[in-house]
Amino acid sequence: MPISEILLAGASERDLTKLEEYHMVGGYAQLARARELEPAAILAELDASNLRGRGGAFFATGKKAGFMPRDSPRPKYLTVNADESEPGTFKDREIMLRVPHRVIEGSLITAHAIEARHVFIYIRGEYLTEFEVLRAALDEAREAELLGGVTLVLHRGAGAYICGEETGLLESLEGKRGQPRAKPPYPAITGLYGAPTLINNVETMATVPKIMELGGEEYAKLGTPDSTGTRVFSLSGNVVRGGNYELPNGTTLRELIYDIGGGVPDGRELKAIIPGGSSVQILTADQVDTPLSYDAMREAGSSVGSGAIIVIDDRACIVQLGLRVAQFYMHESCGKCTPCREGTRWMVQLLNRIEDGDAEEDELDLLLDVCDRILGHCLCPLGDAAAMPIASYVDKFRDEFREHVRAGRCPYGGESSLERVFAPVDQHRGHPTVEVAT
Amino acid sequence: MSVPELVTVSVDGREVQVPKGTGLVETALAAGIEIPVFCYEPRLGPAIGACRMCLVEVEGMPPKPQAACTLTAQDGMVVKTALTSQLARNAQNATLEFILVNHPLDCPVCDKGGECPLQDLTFRFGPGRTRMTFPKRTFDKPIPISPTISLDRERCILCYRCTRFSESVAEDGELVAVNRGAQSMIATFEDEPYRGRFSGNVTELCPVGALLPTTYRFEARPWEIQTVPTVCGLCPVGCNVNVTTREGKVKRVLSRNHPDVDGGWICDKGRFAFGHLGARDRIVDPLRRQRRRGLQPAGWDEAVDEAERLLRAAQGRIVTALSGSETVEQAYGLAKLMRTGLGAHTAVLPEEISDAVDGFRLPLSAIAGAELIVVVGDDPVEERAPIVDLWLRAARRNGAEVVTTGVGGGAKACRQLAGEDDELGRRLRESDRPVLIWSGSGGAGGAHVAACAERLGFGSKPDSGVFYLPLTPNGRGVVEAWSAASDDEGPDPDPIGLLFVSGDEAASDPSVRSLAERADAVIATTMFQGSAVGWADLVLPGTSYLERDGTFVNLEGRLQRLRRAVVPPTPDELAWISQLAGRFGVEVSPYPSVVFGELSERIFGGLPYGEVGERAALRGREPTGELRAPAPAATPKGRGLRLVRYRPLFSGAAVERVPELAFQRPAAEVQLSPQDARRLRIKAGDEVDVRSNGTSRRLRARIDKGLVAGVARIADEHAEELQATVEVARA
Ligand SMILES: Cc1cc2nc3c(=O)[nH]c(=O)nc-3n(C[C@H](O)[C@H](O)[C@H](O)COP(=O)(O)O)c2cc1C
Ligand code: SF4
Ligand code: SF4
Ligand code: FES
Repeated sequence: MPISEILLAGASERDLTKLEEYHMVGGYAQLARARELEPAAILAELDASNLRGRGGAFFATGKKAGFMPRDSPRPKYLTVNADESEPGTFKDREIMLRVPHRVIEGSLITAHAIEARHVFIYIRGEYLTEFEVLRAALDEAREAELLGGVTLVLHRGAGAYICGEETGLLESLEGKRGQPRAKPPYPAITGLYGAPTLINNVETMATVPKIMELGGEEYAKLGTPDSTGTRVFSLSGNVVRGGNYELPNGTTLRELIYDIGGGVPDGRELKAIIPGGSSVQILTADQVDTPLSYDAMREAGSSVGSGAIIVIDDRACIVQLGLRVAQFYMHESCGKCTPCREGTRWMVQLLNRIEDGDAEEDELDLLLDVCDRILGHCLCPLGDAAAMPIASYVDKFRDEFREHVRAGRCPYGGESSLERVFAPVDQHRGHPTVEVAT
Repeated sequence: MSVPELVTVSVDGREVQVPKGTGLVETALAAGIEIPVFCYEPRLGPAIGACRMCLVEVEGMPPKPQAACTLTAQDGMVVKTALTSQLARNAQNATLEFILVNHPLDCPVCDKGGECPLQDLTFRFGPGRTRMTFPKRTFDKPIPISPTISLDRERCILCYRCTRFSESVAEDGELVAVNRGAQSMIATFEDEPYRGRFSGNVTELCPVGALLPTTYRFEARPWEIQTVPTVCGLCPVGCNVNVTTREGKVKRVLSRNHPDVDGGWICDKGRFAFGHLGARDRIVDPLRRQRRRGLQPAGWDEAVDEAERLLRAAQGRIVTALSGSETVEQAYGLAKLMRTGLGAHTAVLPEEISDAVDGFRLPLSAIAGAELIVVVGDDPVEERAPIVDLWLRAARRNGAEVVTTGVGGGAKACRQLAGEDDELGRRLRESDRPVLIWSGSGGAGGAHVAACAERLGFGSKPDSGVFYLPLTPNGRGVVEAWSAASDDEGPDPDPIGLLFVSGDEAASDPSVRSLAERADAVIATTMFQGSAVGWADLVLPGTSYLERDGTFVNLEGRLQRLRRAVVPPTPDELAWISQLAGRFGVEVSPYPSVVFGELSERIFGGLPYGEVGERAALRGREPTGELRAPAPAATPKGRGLRLVRYRPLFSGAAVERVPELAFQRPAAEVQLSPQDARRLRIKAGDEVDVRSNGTSRRLRARIDKGLVAGVARIADEHAEELQATVEVARA
């Protein structure tokens, strides 16, 4: 299976964190060329490439940039989303660590395309090394006068998943509580400080120089028609060689997990696959031939999400998985809207009871109903992201849930690989917190 | 003005036409359909879509319920609410189920019960039974977030109305949400008491029993109360209020949105000061001075006889000291008695009142739409007329520039603005929507700003406005009534045979006290022992604005109706004024409606009493002829800083009698400009000594960027005996 490197290209041979080396692989040449072009020409390339956002929502990048008003009495902003917090996802950090200049170059090209003079990179607070690498690269670029009058600010987050949601990110960047905003108005009209703002993922940005280099049409030949190009997939879980792999979209799960990842270790059986980060529906082992592309995954009842593939083998208790995932969302729910704030807690309570073997059969339906009542009712996608996977676990592994109820205990009897891998519920030590009885 | 485009929207099959961009909640309402909401409250700024109560189905949008509160009417939109859409019905039911999973079953002991939107909506849209079988989230409760407000976090449904009020209306930022997810809770910043001037509004905004006025705790049930619509009589804004009474007692004061006056907000003084009605030193019987025994309770007949005797004995050498808090009718009745009955035309008021600003009249709400606003005068606006400060904040949020200037020299500032080459003046001249506000004393009742506005060409701009913020709630109405009673004039009496002191404010005015020292006799009408009892010969019990019927004129010049919320423990002023007037052959009806009728013929264009209205209209502009600024008062000379005293919002006879408001009383501070502070090497928070010949006060320094150099500003009650020029030095 060929690993086709586009956005990580050159990083295996050279230390591309150094501007010098990056120049040797044609670094910043595309920026120079782009600056000669009309902004519309860059947008046309993006459109032709059919690049879709790598942050998880898969929105067409060119189209989104096209929503930015041409003339604006207010400044325009580009915000790069480097908050990477989706469980299972660690590709943006690899990109920032290995090709920081490509992130900067892509951002500057995009800024030119939307005629923005200000770029903010919002980086996850825990990513200290990544921040430092990016900062060093930025210093080099500034020194080399590559910014071309654009101000580029690195802003560190403070540890909230919701600040990866684009409007939560904007609030946080403005120094407020990180909570999503109601849309409309969309950020392209009323974004950061009320001004037009484009928000793109790190990987999306790092892809842009290559699109300029290859040309949009050429780039679109990679991958599949609906999911063009390559992606850096984060492979984790019960797999021999976890890690980040840049592959064309459309690669099948089997190729990734077995050919590249070396399959399931210890001679265990593949039980399930989470194909796009914790927010997406689970797939069963028999769906392992599904290609990692938008349409195919949708057909399979899930999504490519943030490109994080989590492999689950037969050691893991699915109820515990559900509990672990639900706890994450309960903990990360920002608390702004009712269904997510209250529903995620209720889900955790129910899952705890099921795992403990204290639940009745009809509580499985209640759990599904709670998910159903969150779904589609929330202000931002986080609520859905909590409800969809949990509902899929119950749907696809109902027997395992039922077994908990029937046996009055976890059938794994303390042997599950997820045993006690639960989130500490109170991570706000030192702050006024409230006991949450779960 | 462009006419807004009308669009047609179908709501549950009913078609309505509304201006494009109308909120969907309002659009449905126009079709007679209610979309339930919790977090939506347009007065708090853009919708936030938090509670998810308003979910509806909209054709052509993604096949999931949409939050109506964040959508606006577009042509051809087809909306289905829970009435006709299963999707919407399920969604609303789900939202209520989620809200209720952690909501305590407190209704039987919750003060909100019976007037609770959560109860109401649960009955209509919610599930009948609970599926929650886990322990609910619990908190310590209730928590006093200030002496006036209690917070019950268990009841809180996290709609964020209260924090949005604090952040984007009052802009005090004191009420915040902390933690996240299911652990989110409302708290005050750093656990300090919520000290904002408008904090009480959150108790009305809260759609559940989470934020409640502590003074209303366990006081009444909705079916036991009466609601009396009236206006607040504690400052010249005249906020429209509803007074809740139970069994003849005032239990709380709520706002009653007059969009042009108060926008539905009231300040904490207006909300919480009603406790003064039951003050321990309230006078309920007349008091008559008796030889050697001092003041003794007297019957009403005896009191009226004595009043008559004192009035006659003065032989017309009478001075009436008014408070500016009398009703128009009361002031008119008193004026008729004094002026036509006794030929006593001299009256003093705590402040100058001029009608010059009426030529530039605008509703207060227009401030929010102004472009450039210049505030001159010594007093912080929020201390004089708090709601005006909210309008100023709204203006700033809407993009207006608000400039404060001329503290310590407003008249001079006005002259400068009107000068040929003043930059700010030039911009006022060029602006289409300029507003000038005088806040403080020394403004000759607004004559200075009005003259300035005239010279700046406001006269030809219908959207320009001038406001003068009087010290007294009805000073304008009192002056109008006093002058309407007679056209005659007379010399000021010297010596003074009788000083008639009307009201507690007049009684506590030091200049009135010095008049009393020069008078042969004093009749005072006050509510409280503390105010005048020591030096009056006859004390007639006074009443509060909450106990009176009549009218008030607010600072805009708006005539508003005051309604008796509770019966006073003593006959009201008009009753005995009427009786006393009869003794002098003057006819004054004891009924405010009749008095008003008579007065209205003279000065209010014959407006019937019944038509003053719940939401009183504003009279048009009344040009006042050529405007000339009066000569400015002489500024005291001398080394040191000029002392500027102001009367704080939380002061006065009523506030002083309400223990819950004690925490709001002004700190013992002196406000200094940054320049003076630097020069005197004083930092914020330093203890300083403020001296003027002979007296000294130790106060804490506060640096106020709005102050000009050369001025030290101190609240009246902390300035005490200090003279006009003071020296300030670090202690
Ligand atoms: C709860 C939540 C968390 C998110 N976290 C991230 C994140 O960490 N990084 C990211 O790029 N996008 C994240 N997103 C997606 C962003 O909202 C947004 O769609 C994305 O940054 C847009 O960039 P793209 O078009 O380049 O993908 C998150 C979305 C949600 C709802
Ligand atoms: S869905 Fe969850 S995270 Fe998103 S706004 Fe609602 S409470 Fe916040
Ligand atoms: S205290 Fe009341 S107003 Fe504030 S968030 Fe809670 S329910 Fe809403
Ligand atoms: S009223 Fe619309 S979400 Fe609260």
